[in-house]
Amino acid sequence: MPAEVKQEQSPSNATTLAMMQEPQEVVEETVTIEEDPGTPTSHVSVVTSDDGTTRRTETKVTKMVKTVTTRTVRQVPLGPDGLPLPEGSSPLGNYTDSIDRRYMKNGGFITPQATSTLTRSYNNSYNDSYGETPESQYVRHYGLHDGYADLTDNYGSLSRGVNFRPPRYPYLPNSYRPENSYTLPIRKDDYGHVAQPQVPMGNSTVDLNRSQPERFQPEPYGLEDDRRSLGPEEEEPYELEPDYSTANRRTLQGANRGRTHREPLRDVPRVRGYPDEAIEAELIDERHPYIHGMYSAPLAQPERGSMASLDRMGGRRSPSIDSIRKDPRWRDPDLPEVIAMLGHPIDPVKSNAAAYLQHLCYENDKIKKDVRQLKGIPVLVGLLDHPKSEVHRKACGALRNISYGKDNDNKVAIKNCDGIPALVRLLRKTNDMEVRELITGTLWNLSSYEPLKMVIINHGLQTLTNEVIIPHSGWEHEPNEDSKPRDAEWTTVFKNTSGCLRNVSSDGAEARRRLRECEGLVDALLHALQSAVGKKDMDNKSVENCVCIMRNLSYHVHKEVPGAEKFQDPSALQAPGSAGPQRKKKDDAGCFGGKKAKGRKNGDDKNYDTLDLPKRSEPSKGFELLYQPEVVRLYLSLLTESQNYNTLEAAAGALQNLSAGQWTWSNYIRATVRKEKGLPILVELLRSDSDKVVRAVSIALRNLSIDRRNKDLIGSYAMRDLVSNLPSGQQRPAKNLEEDTVVAILNTIHEIVTDSSENARSLAQAQAIEKLVAINRTSQSARETKAASHVLQTVWSYKELRNALTKDGWNKSHFQPTVTATPKATKNGKPGYDDTTLPLMEKNQDGYSTIDQKDKDCKYKTVDSSVDQTEREPLKNDTNRKHYIRSNRPAVSLVDACDVKPQPVDSWV
Amino acid sequence: MSFVPGQPLTAVVQRIQIQKLRQGENLILGFSIGGGIDQDPGQNPFSDDKTDKGIYVTRITPGGPADAAGLRMGDKLMQVNGWDMTMVTHDQARKRLTKKNEDVVRLLVTRKSLEEAVKQSMGSFPRQ
Repeated sequence: MPAEVKQEQSPSNATTLAMMQEPQEVVEETVTIEEDPGTPTSHVSVVTSDDGTTRRTETKVTKMVKTVTTRTVRQVPLGPDGLPLPEGSSPLGNYTDSIDRRYMKNGGFITPQATSTLTRSYNNSYNDSYGETPESQYVRHYGLHDGYADLTDNYGSLSRGVNFRPPRYPYLPNSYRPENSYTLPIRKDDYGHVAQPQVPMGNSTVDLNRSQPERFQPEPYGLEDDRRSLGPEEEEPYELEPDYSTANRRTLQGANRGRTHREPLRDVPRVRGYPDEAIEAELIDERHPYIHGMYSAPLAQPERGSMASLDRMGGRRSPSIDSIRKDPRWRDPDLPEVIAMLGHPIDPVKSNAAAYLQHLCYENDKIKKDVRQLKGIPVLVGLLDHPKSEVHRKACGALRNISYGKDNDNKVAIKNCDGIPALVRLLRKTNDMEVRELITGTLWNLSSYEPLKMVIINHGLQTLTNEVIIPHSGWEHEPNEDSKPRDAEWTTVFKNTSGCLRNVSSDGAEARRRLRECEGLVDALLHALQSAVGKKDMDNKSVENCVCIMRNLSYHVHKEVPGAEKFQDPSALQAPGSAGPQRKKKDDAGCFGGKKAKGRKNGDDKNYDTLDLPKRSEPSKGFELLYQPEVVRLYLSLLTESQNYNTLEAAAGALQNLSAGQWTWSNYIRATVRKEKGLPILVELLRSDSDKVVRAVSIALRNLSIDRRNKDLIGSYAMRDLVSNLPSGQQRPAKNLEEDTVVAILNTIHEIVTDSSENARSLAQAQAIEKLVAINRTSQSARETKAASHVLQTVWSYKELRNALTKDGWNKSHFQPTVTATPKATKNGKPGYDDTTLPLMEKNQDGYSTIDQKDKDCKYKTVDSSVDQTEREPLKNDTNRKHYIRSNRPAVSLVDACDVKPQPVDSWV
Repeated sequence: MSFVPGQPLTAVVQRIQIQKLRQGENLILGFSIGGGIDQDPGQNPFSDDKTDKGIYVTRITPGGPADAAGLRMGDKLMQVNGWDMTMVTHDQARKRLTKKNEDVVRLLVTRKSLEEAVKQSMGSFPRQ
């Protein structure tokens, strides 16, 4: 049988490979191999399964075989490290490119994939390859084994050393085959020999596969992406080929996994292996029978059914095979072994080991922990500086998976071995988009842990900005005449990076200061957002991230920005003795800023319409852009157009932050929102189905109503929408808003009716009294009760309204606080706490924005525990504390309920 | 900034002397502290090492004595009047600071910016 085999690549595989890998060249190779005629050689066909496992089918052939292989290979590293190449001498050598082999329909010819070897071994995927045996008809002669043998031996030593299973596979020399050695054994050989040695070769192929897995599926993970290789995809190709029944299985399993898993990026090969494993367990019993069958008629049964059985066997094979062959050579590497391989002198071994680790770690917290405890993380971090892209890419992939999840110790471990600077260094060095995605994905994961945020800022802020944010945003420092304004590109790298910055931007005053002062960052983010608005492309994650960053950076601008003192509204009285609200930077995080302002009377009633916007001699840049009235239009556009709740919330939050405080710019912002016709837009959003949007909008309206004109307008036009969000009695409205939201709305109403009997009147006309009384009397929430109570008291304080109220059947008792005077919040009860520091609103708001809370209270962050949340977006509300304080005077506190966690002790001295 | 109690520690420290402000019966330093070996170090927002049970300055009264003396929020107290503050309970630290018979406290504090300044300048003395 002159076997000419044409290998066809399954389209799917090829594509996947292509995608995965970096810009590799696609090479089609046609290899014709002539094998020695007449020599009984065992032929091994190796099929690389999606998993990256290799299937081999060995057939003894006495005949010459010509094999034509067409490979589609992207960079095929032949003989990485040169190891594989030697094999090339033998016809088998050609096979080194496992990929090609796989593609071969005849399957039988499929060469052992070096690449997958490591993986394979781990996965029991091998089995699959066995299944292919039927294909063996096509028998090829693989001299390979021999060639590999040397290599294998080397590897073998590694493995063995590490290993668990000592002598399972005897190396099957060709001699075995003559016996009808079945594919199974052969494979082993492959593994033993080929696999490891092939590693280099495999790398090429494997790499492809792996790279594929790495594709991001960012969505599910807000912050953290674990990416896996796309196992399923690869497998699919197999399915295409009917011959490989085994393939089907794989595909199924693989598919399930791949898709199910959140972590998109993994190494394919491993993935593949896994599915098989599961099956294997089941199949094990069956193996022997199958095997026998196989042996009896390996070649004869090309049928799928038989194949399938084979495949399964293959999976199991290790035991069965082992027993059969008694080949001592092969065993699955265990974790310590894999980690040890990270330090192997041969680069492909390193990269395969790293890729395998990535795979193992995917969604497996236990493994992640084990890797950490086995000191694998520093080794991986060390590989980031490896000159070979395969190595640092795989290491990066493993780190990304390890960094994902709730186990912050893993994140800390990466940080402790200087992983963050190493990642940043690599980011500066590489132009490989895939690697950049991995790096930024890893940083995104790391940034979800509070204590690492500052570290990331210290090491990576400017680099992330310069390398990713600015170039991808389309913004240019100094555009020259030739340059056209560019639109932002919503790449994965940009998304990851903006997600990372979004997280770190919530780390308090110092973090905000650093981001604001980071050259080009604010400019680029604004440009990106404007570009999004221009393109009407506002619903994606990148936009969401950008808006969240902007919101966070807008928080407390009136106190934290350099030179803010100059803009303080003189009408805002400073309490005697307070240093001034605008303490700078870190200091301001202190709680005192607003406290002392408590006694301040409202000076804010003036009509800002009369204010002229400040004239600028030169265009503003950097952080100044945050609070220029021009941004109002941007946020309003987002509020109008975006369908993304998070984006809506963030944009409303930004307006809320900007309209808070008593400084010139917030006056302008408040007036600008009105002039840009933003109030109706906000009011419209009160009808949103999203709780948090309603909340953010509500608080924004409250801040905006500091402006007297706004207050009048909001009182006239927004009251009904506000009231409609309130629960009536014990029945919640359809929306069923959360307590925080209800409280926010009540506080906004309170603000609006304060100092405005007109607004109080419209409140009564909106049928609000009934709801307020019901909340006041029956709400299960102490905070809601208090907030409602404040509103009622304020309403009752307008003597001119009492007449009308009485006519409606209300009397004074309805407006009295219910029974229990609200006890002070436990928090406040601390001796050390100055209540003034904790204005009511503030606390309420704290509920909203974790971040802010910290800053405001200066207490230990309660937030930390919540790290897992996907993205923390600090909303902030900032609140005009002063304002509130003033208005809320009577109320003791809405505050208390907010803190769920025990507060750390904090003592004044 | 983390260290192991009992192990040699290299820290860049700053001396800060605070003259307490007398208000009636009370002596006021004008800052608040958090941390201590009896507290949950994980909640300390200021420490890099979340196992650090040291005493940290959590808040500063603007314009108060501590503010005037240059103490910053987030500073870690190393010593108070010569007493070690790295291995004390919260209450012990508080008591050390609030001795009625001492009008002046001398602190040894360290802060991230100090360390970074030193690191970055590689030996040049930090400005602060």
